[in-house]
Parts: sequence; structure tokens; C-alpha cells
Amino acid sequence: MAMESEWVTADMVEASEFAELSDRYQVYAVPLTVANDRVRVEGGMQEPMFIPRILQGIGLQVDSPFAKQD
Amino acid sequence: MALLKDSDREQLRQEFSQLESPVKLVFFTQALNCDYCPLTQQVLEELAGLSDKIQLVIYNFAIDQEQVTLYKIARVPAVAVVRVETQTVDGVVTTREHDYGIRYYGVPAGYEFGAFVNDIFDVSRGESGLSVQSKALLAQLTEPLHLQVFSTPT
Repeated sequence: MAMESEWVTADMVEASEFAELSDRYQVYAVPLTVANDRVRVEGGMQEPMFIPRILQGIGLQVDSPFAKQD
Repeated sequence: MALLKDSDREQLRQEFSQLESPVKLVFFTQALNCDYCPLTQQVLEELAGLSDKIQLVIYNFAIDQEQVTLYKIARVPAVAVVRVETQTVDGVVTTREHDYGIRYYGVPAGYEFGAFVNDIFDVSRGESGLSVQSKALLAQLTEPLHLQVFSTPT
């Protein structure tokens, strides 16, 4: 995703090595994706679901058939 | 002692021979209070030793403030995975870094190791591998999106 938009930055965080950060985001299960500090997507998810979920979560009106499923 | 097994090393060496553009691994470390910095450095050194296309540069998080700011590094150990692009204009070769904003915080080991190696390939090719639909969606972004993906080694 970071490669496809200059607006996107992607941090891969080793949860067990950064306890403070994991506490702050209440990481109880992995993978956990946190977008813009507030949108949480838990577990693995297929790309056609994941990306619209994230974009919708941050308030972007996404034009995609997948986006209407939630 | 080497972290990578000989068989893995040989397989990676062969795979890395397919790399296109060079990839720079910009590593941030510090001497004190960083339990996982030495291990991360060893992983990166072993990877960089497998291909001329993988460059490793090392900065000190506590000292190299300019680089910390440039790469927007939040904590250590950190690795920025950056594409090195070469351009020839009128016979003059210039290189520039293409920083996609990909960062690894912590040791790229276990499950993360595979993801890390895949990212090296994607960055080298300059191709995310996402679907046309996904690319179209992401192209609609007009504001910052900061993703933090938490995982564990197993």
C-alpha cells in the first residue's frame, strides 16, 4: 500500500519488542493493523476486503463494490 | 555464529540474483537500552552479504538526528527499505533514493523475515503486486495514512 500512494507510510512493528506501544494500542492478538492511530483491523484479511476497510475507516468515501459490505 | 542456515543462505543468494534496482536498508541502532539492536544488525548484515544489490547503511538513533528526521524514525531498532534508482542523462549517471515509507521496527525474524525479504523484492522491482482495483483505490488518497502492523515472530 505504501508503494502505491505517497500518502501512505507503513510500519511493521514487532509487538513483543515494543511493549509500551503494544500496550498503547492494546495489542492482544496479531496481526493487528492500526490506521492513523484510531482504526483497528484485527486478524488477517484478504486484500479486496482489507484496503476498503482501512480507507473507509479513515473516512475516505471509497468507490468499490467491496466497500458496501460492512 | 550465523543466524541464517547455509541452505537458506544459498537459496536467498539465488533469489537475490533476480533483484532489479538496488535496495538500501537504512538501519537505525543505538548502543544503550536497545536489546534487539545487535540481533537486527546481524540479520541485516547477513542479508546484505548475499547480494551486491542490497546495501546496508547504519545510523545511530541517538546521534544521527538529521537522518532520524529525514526517515522519520520513531524508535529502535528500525529499518527503512528504500529503492535506489539510477538515471542516465546526457551520459551522466545519477542515483536517487525512492523512499516508499516502509519501516520495520524490531528484529525481522520468524514470520516477519519472509515478509521482509518479500518487501526487498517488491521495492527492488518498484511493484507492489497489488491488484488493479486496490491500486485504483489507493490512488484516491489525498491525506496521510499511517499504518502500523503489529505482529510477533511466530
